[in-house]
Amino acid sequence: MMWWESLFRKPDDAQLDSELRFHIEGLIEEKISAGLGPEEARRQALLEFGRKEQWKEELRDVHRVAVIESTLSNLKSALRFIRKSPSFAGAIIVTLALGIGANSAIFSALDAILLRPLPFPDGDRLMSLSQYNPKVKNPQTPIAPVRIEDWNRMNSTFQAITGYYTEDVSESSGALPEKITRAWVAPRFFQVWGIAPARGREFLPEDFRLGPVGVIISDRFWRRRFDTDPSAIGKKLRIEPYSYSIVGIMPASFLFPERDVDLWFPVPLQGPYTQSRESTWYTGVGRLKPGVTAAQARADLATVQAQLGKQYPKTDADLAAGIQPLKESTVGGVRRSLWILFGSVSVLLLIACTNIAALLLARTAERQREIAIRYSLGASRASIVMQLLTEVLVLALAGSALALLVAGAASGVFQSLAQTLPRVEEIGLNGRLVLYTAVCAVLTTLLCGLFPAVRGTRRTLAGSLAQAGRTQVSGRNPLQWLLVSVQVALAVTLLVGAGLLLRTFQALGRVSPGFDADHVLTFRISANWGETADQKGLSQRVNRDLDAMRSIPGVEGAATSLALPGVPFGNSGELKVTEGQADPNHKIVAMSRFVSVGYFATMHIPLLAGEACRETLLSSAVVNRSFADTYLRGRTAIGNHLQFLPVNPYLPTAEIRGIVANAREEGLEHEPAPIVYWCLNDPVPSPAFLVRTHAEPMALAETVRHKIHDLEPSRSVYEVKPLEEHLRDTQAENRLRTTLLSFFALTAVALASMGLYGTLSYIVSARRREVGLRLALGALRGQIATQFLFEGLRASVLGCLAGLGLAAAFSHVLSSMLYGITPSDTTTFAGVALLVLLTATLSSLLPATRAARVEPMQVLRDE
Amino acid sequence: MPTEKSDLLQGTLDMLILKIVALGPVHGYGISLRIRQISKEVLQVQQGSLYPALHRLEKRGWLKAEWGESDNGRQAKFYSLSAKGRKQFAAEESNWNRLATAVAAILETPR
Repeated sequence: MMWWESLFRKPDDAQLDSELRFHIEGLIEEKISAGLGPEEARRQALLEFGRKEQWKEELRDVHRVAVIESTLSNLKSALRFIRKSPSFAGAIIVTLALGIGANSAIFSALDAILLRPLPFPDGDRLMSLSQYNPKVKNPQTPIAPVRIEDWNRMNSTFQAITGYYTEDVSESSGALPEKITRAWVAPRFFQVWGIAPARGREFLPEDFRLGPVGVIISDRFWRRRFDTDPSAIGKKLRIEPYSYSIVGIMPASFLFPERDVDLWFPVPLQGPYTQSRESTWYTGVGRLKPGVTAAQARADLATVQAQLGKQYPKTDADLAAGIQPLKESTVGGVRRSLWILFGSVSVLLLIACTNIAALLLARTAERQREIAIRYSLGASRASIVMQLLTEVLVLALAGSALALLVAGAASGVFQSLAQTLPRVEEIGLNGRLVLYTAVCAVLTTLLCGLFPAVRGTRRTLAGSLAQAGRTQVSGRNPLQWLLVSVQVALAVTLLVGAGLLLRTFQALGRVSPGFDADHVLTFRISANWGETADQKGLSQRVNRDLDAMRSIPGVEGAATSLALPGVPFGNSGELKVTEGQADPNHKIVAMSRFVSVGYFATMHIPLLAGEACRETLLSSAVVNRSFADTYLRGRTAIGNHLQFLPVNPYLPTAEIRGIVANAREEGLEHEPAPIVYWCLNDPVPSPAFLVRTHAEPMALAETVRHKIHDLEPSRSVYEVKPLEEHLRDTQAENRLRTTLLSFFALTAVALASMGLYGTLSYIVSARRREVGLRLALGALRGQIATQFLFEGLRASVLGCLAGLGLAAAFSHVLSSMLYGITPSDTTTFAGVALLVLLTATLSSLLPATRAARVEPMQVLRDE
Repeated sequence: MPTEKSDLLQGTLDMLILKIVALGPVHGYGISLRIRQISKEVLQVQQGSLYPALHRLEKRGWLKAEWGESDNGRQAKFYSLSAKGRKQFAAEESNWNRLATAVAAILETPR
């Protein structure tokens, strides 16, 4: 039987009983043959045998590792151990607190964002829907409201399908107009989420009509505006041109479709924008019936859309329904980053464990005499291993308690460092996190503790040492050096990852975006979609605002754009050159951006040929060089006409008037793609305003507000911030990832060099006598120091090589996050190797010189 | 650990058991009989010590146990010596002899 089996094997009670009964019967027969009557014989036998039950209990004790008692005494001895060597225990606790804490912190984000279902009843049944034309490259578009109604009516797999659209408007019932975010919602909106208003009522069918209807407000808005006054229900809000009564208040947890929605508005079913099959502006959401899979729903919607295609061949024949779990479309983008971070902290924890295992190994070696004594007192190997493990467990639990503090603090860091992460508000300390941390503690105990405990309790070793008394602990420690190499290798892997991300950041910093983001103030002016009914008036209003900006002293130029330059917008679609295209099989796919007069001058994008947008006319457009080179090579681009495909009634044909230089409008990390700039200042009622200033942009913020307020007293100005800040925001996830990974990598290097230092120090002290003797026999101190230094360096170099190999094998998982470098970037690899070897030399230097300073006489006297 | 209620010197019971078991497979009752007989009734082993010792030795892997039929046809648990137990017994025996010789030498020292 192996020693560990005894931990689990229980004696069979019936067998114990029959063994003892056999003995009693033997005694009875003995008495009877001595001449006693059967009754008397039995009585005496029982008397002689004693209390059978008590013996049985003792026998059970032999087999059981008496769980409770031994645990208690193990705990006591563990606490005694900690008291006796507080610095050793402290080092382990801090290492684990860091290792487990970082791990738990990332797990809390991973759990909140990726693992837990969305915070709605049966959140896994929510699907996000879109419509798209499978023949065109990249056009997942919003859905026409009327099509949502069709899908909802004709499908058989959804409980309900709904849609929504959000916009920023100005609410003017208060003293000053306030910008609020309003979500236009289709019928069944709250039914799909499965959440009802906390107060008041849901929308009724009669709410979905034209004119002043009831609205539902968010908890946030209720607190801000009404100070949680319950009588808010029934009060009126004014959004030009109507007033609306509040009919309900949503609970604080309902943050959909956006975190900062203030109002939910019913979309009138008979409205002008809800009847056209071509005006697509809804984001679709549906709730599956119980037990229906996404694949079934996809097939169902495909059938429905095919029917619609027959019914409305002109508008619906080319369309298909897109469907994706809502959670996926909400958090799918950060999945890779989070798993990579989680992988990194797990490697970090592994390093911490290896580090501690090495410490414990050295420690158990020093405790050989204690262990030998325990053996000679009759302890079993299992019970000694249990005692050693209990010590580690106590340390790990203490470390985990600290780790929870670290993780709790980290959730705050996440929320301030990465506001753009989806679901970031759900990160926090909870039962699952505590459980996870506890599991981590137990796993690390086994990982760090089991091996040293099993190895340290080998009986032969214990026995021989007990006899050998003061004999030196072996100076040859291949195992401990292996542990050092493992730590170095893992740290190198993390360092390479961090290095690659850092180099990407560096490369992005060197990229010239093709526009000048410095000294540009951006803001928006509230407006509602209804204003697009009067396209001319809207355009005039935007021009008036722009003129007002240009009249401010210190303003160099002003313009509007549908999307901010350098911020991914992704409005890509198929176009047609009406004059015909060079290669009819080569589709023209380009980004569309809508800009006002003065955009190129304001953004410092050079005009290469022709003229920039001169007036706000949809009939003119400017293309970038990439477009001209890709699609109009070998011919004069200017003068050609462009048209959207499929032909859109709102966007007529435009003539190409000019060519501008390439700019990275879709973000710094994206190579400039073909772009068409349509000269239109008001594609939406509230486009982004861009104002180039001479001085610091935010210094003009108040002037801008006042100017707009003078012109449009009922509108509010919002999102006032420098363009630079928007650009920084686009890098938030990248920055979070890079910062955290660098932090983990540096911690890993620190741990590994601590491990190297600790191991070498231990080996030096274990071999003091040998060193003393050699010095006494005439060895040079320099030789001694060099020898130990090389011993440390050899393990580090081996670890470093292994780590570089590991990194080369795994760095491709980062490739989609890199810019300007390949995953096998030589500079990064060389830099990491240099850094690690330098650190290794520094950490070996101190113990090595300490070895050289050994006083031979001292050592020999000590013996 | 159960307390030993034996009059025997700590550790000697184990050795006696090993010695008796070394003679051939035997059950617990048989061991207590043999100890009594061989020691000519000098040593009386308490059952409360015998069985825990037997189980402990079995657990350490020095004894093997098997259920078999006894002389009177009943099922009994027979103990026999394992290879490990044989080695242990040899070690304990020589230890004991050394100790006994040493003690005897001391006691026999003329005043």
